[in-house]
Amino acid sequence: MTAPVLIVDDSVTVRMNLLELLNGAGLEAIACASLAEARRALAEQTFALVVLDVLLPDGDGIELLQEIRAMPCGGKVAVMMLSSETEVRDRVRGLTTGADEYVGKPYDPTYLAGRARELVGRGSDQPSPSQETILLIDDSVTFRNELKSALEQASYRVVVAGSGEEGLRVAADSRPSGIVVDGVLPGIDGATFIRRIRLDAVLRALPCFLLTGSEDRSAEVRALDAGADAFAVKDDNIGVILARIGAMLRSAGDRPALGGTTSLQGPKKVLAVDDSETYLQQLAAALSSEGYEVILARSGEEALELLAVQQVDCVLLDLIMPGIGGREACLRVKSVPALRDIPIIMLTAVEDREAMIAGLGAGADDYMAKSSDLDLVRARVLAQIRRKQFEDEHRAVRERLLRAEYEANEARTALEIAKVRAALTEQLELKNAELEIKNDELESFSYSVAHDLRAPLRSIDGFSLALLEDCGDKLDAMGKGYLNYVRQSTQHMARLIDDLLALSRVTRSALERSETDLGAIARGVVARLTTAFPDRKIDVLLADGIVADCDCRLLTVVLENLIGNAWKFTGKRDRARIEIGTIETIPRTIFVRDNGAGFDMTYASKLFGVFQRLHSISEFEGTGIGLATVQRIIRRHGGRIWAEGHVGRGATFYFTLEAGSGAAVVAGMLGSEPSLSTIAKESAA
Amino acid sequence: MTAEDTILLVEDNPADEALTLRALKKANIANQVVVARDGIEAIDYLLADEPSAAGRAQPQLILLDLKLPKLDGLEVLTRIRSNQRTKLLPVVILTTSVEDEDRLQGYRLGANSYVRKPVDFNEFARAVTQLGLYWLVLNERPPRVDYLRSQIRNH
Repeated sequence: MTAPVLIVDDSVTVRMNLLELLNGAGLEAIACASLAEARRALAEQTFALVVLDVLLPDGDGIELLQEIRAMPCGGKVAVMMLSSETEVRDRVRGLTTGADEYVGKPYDPTYLAGRARELVGRGSDQPSPSQETILLIDDSVTFRNELKSALEQASYRVVVAGSGEEGLRVAADSRPSGIVVDGVLPGIDGATFIRRIRLDAVLRALPCFLLTGSEDRSAEVRALDAGADAFAVKDDNIGVILARIGAMLRSAGDRPALGGTTSLQGPKKVLAVDDSETYLQQLAAALSSEGYEVILARSGEEALELLAVQQVDCVLLDLIMPGIGGREACLRVKSVPALRDIPIIMLTAVEDREAMIAGLGAGADDYMAKSSDLDLVRARVLAQIRRKQFEDEHRAVRERLLRAEYEANEARTALEIAKVRAALTEQLELKNAELEIKNDELESFSYSVAHDLRAPLRSIDGFSLALLEDCGDKLDAMGKGYLNYVRQSTQHMARLIDDLLALSRVTRSALERSETDLGAIARGVVARLTTAFPDRKIDVLLADGIVADCDCRLLTVVLENLIGNAWKFTGKRDRARIEIGTIETIPRTIFVRDNGAGFDMTYASKLFGVFQRLHSISEFEGTGIGLATVQRIIRRHGGRIWAEGHVGRGATFYFTLEAGSGAAVVAGMLGSEPSLSTIAKESAA
Repeated sequence: MTAEDTILLVEDNPADEALTLRALKKANIANQVVVARDGIEAIDYLLADEPSAAGRAQPQLILLDLKLPKLDGLEVLTRIRSNQRTKLLPVVILTTSVEDEDRLQGYRLGANSYVRKPVDFNEFARAVTQLGLYWLVLNERPPRVDYLRSQIRNH
């Protein structure tokens, strides 16, 4: 429940009328006749809205407005000034003091009620925009309920009104997405209702659906003439009516709403500016009788002051006035973007050609002599207001077209992008499928290498040995030697197969990084080598704290190969030395150095290729796969591996385990070494 | 030597069979060796419904190759483990494969050991010697299932 409305007016008639009006709009209201009464009421309770007269027996309404605004929570109270005063000064004073709305008397009851509801904040509990709201206006409760439930089943939200007047109020209040209105209503009829909607700046874009009672063709003409978007005969099947309403809402779906949000279907405001009080009063009388709200300004300055705080629909401007003349005022209004669309009709005392040119030159929309008939003034005002409305509508249509074009373009682009993406995805999927097949092939190849190639090797070796052992007495030394070659080759091939399998496994298995103590792994490798070759005497220098974020299993393979190589190639050294350490580059570089056979840097690029060997088998045995495996592991970590060496003076293998150019820093640190130019040379294989 | 000391060798490759037999001989393992040349033969020997099979004592050790015709080694292992009569028999997978997947499946299905056949015969002979020593001498076999059953019935 929202807080009530406080009405402050000394006229009993106005108070009664407002109470009735606001209660009818579903608002609780309390009426006071004086400032003193109002002050007491305000002290006792909180109000959502104060409807405030300016001239009161015990003071000025604007004083109370000031007091309200000065109250602790006064900013939250909406204030609507209501005054018969057509004085611009009061209007400006009211609006600048903090009035939310300034309505002239006589007021339009529908507008006042709608505006009151809006100010009270009923707008905040509007439905979510995702659900379309339909305003249904019909005085027949039976038909209304039938259509309402049908619409609700079609998942529309439905608000109802029993008359055109109520409909206007509800439309302004609930801002529906469409209106369904009966043609025959008490009070204003359906066609008139639609016409009123079409005249409202905010609501006129709403799709309107007219229901007629008869099969009469002329009803359709009348409906469309009134501006209805679609119509149906009430006797039609309700499904047909629903379908038509749906179609209408769809086609109107992107119609943009124009105009300011505060402009309701209230009376059009006309600002009359003239230094002659008599003429002003004449204008006021003539235009008020036409239903316009007329604001009177006595000078150009006053007019500009008012326009700064309140929008009007048309300005009647006297050309010759003391102070800022009509021409200057017109120029100033037309130079403000927010105001320049307001039609200005220039008035002069005489039918003066030059004055007319001056006025139109300043940007006035029309020009007329004061001597003209007041009916002519009315007609011109109406024409200007209509023209402005048409312009607004044209702009809306143009905007709609532009937006449609833009959206079509966007949709086309999106479609093209989607097509390209789909084609790419398809290609990618094909490639993936191919890759998967190839991976599977590789997998089964590795498997058969592991099983089918090893089994015959075992037979060759086994039976060669059986021959040597069981039938050795029938073989001479040469025969035994040949059989030994057979066995050696078999065993070498078995190692080749094992190494190839290890190499392919590096690629197939997933990389699992963790904090790994490389020093511990190196110690393990050295211990195994020492057990396997107990006769070798090697000094192993192992730096402390070689810990890295890497795959423990794969780095074991790396160190087994690198330390194993160092072990192997120092085989002919009396004092063999293997050093394992780090260089603090970014990322950190780890190295394995030996003082063994070394290699010719000319062939450095061949080191890491599969089956590449820089030494003969008779010199140092090996398969030529180990370093290829090592390189593959390092690359999988995103790191780099490179080597430097000199024939007879040993070799050093450097590697990093993260992306980055560790090599450059190493080069910088070891700048004096003669072999530097080739340090960073990595295998192209 | 009793029937219970039999070794069942499941191996399709005659050369590997000969080598295994030779390795067993070199290791001085004199147990009777029954050879099944594919998975079906192995299952028939262990689980056939004929009375001779039912009454027959189960082998003391099964040496099982993985790549076999008709029924592969892992399938043979599955059937051995899913039958009351054979579920506790020691099964050693003796194969060329060191694929992670094979090893994992082998253990998952209840193999007691997984041994890779080395290419070098001397190493192979060493492996067979150690297997024989462990499974035929050192290891205490589980009590016979039907013997246990009769024990339970008598109570």
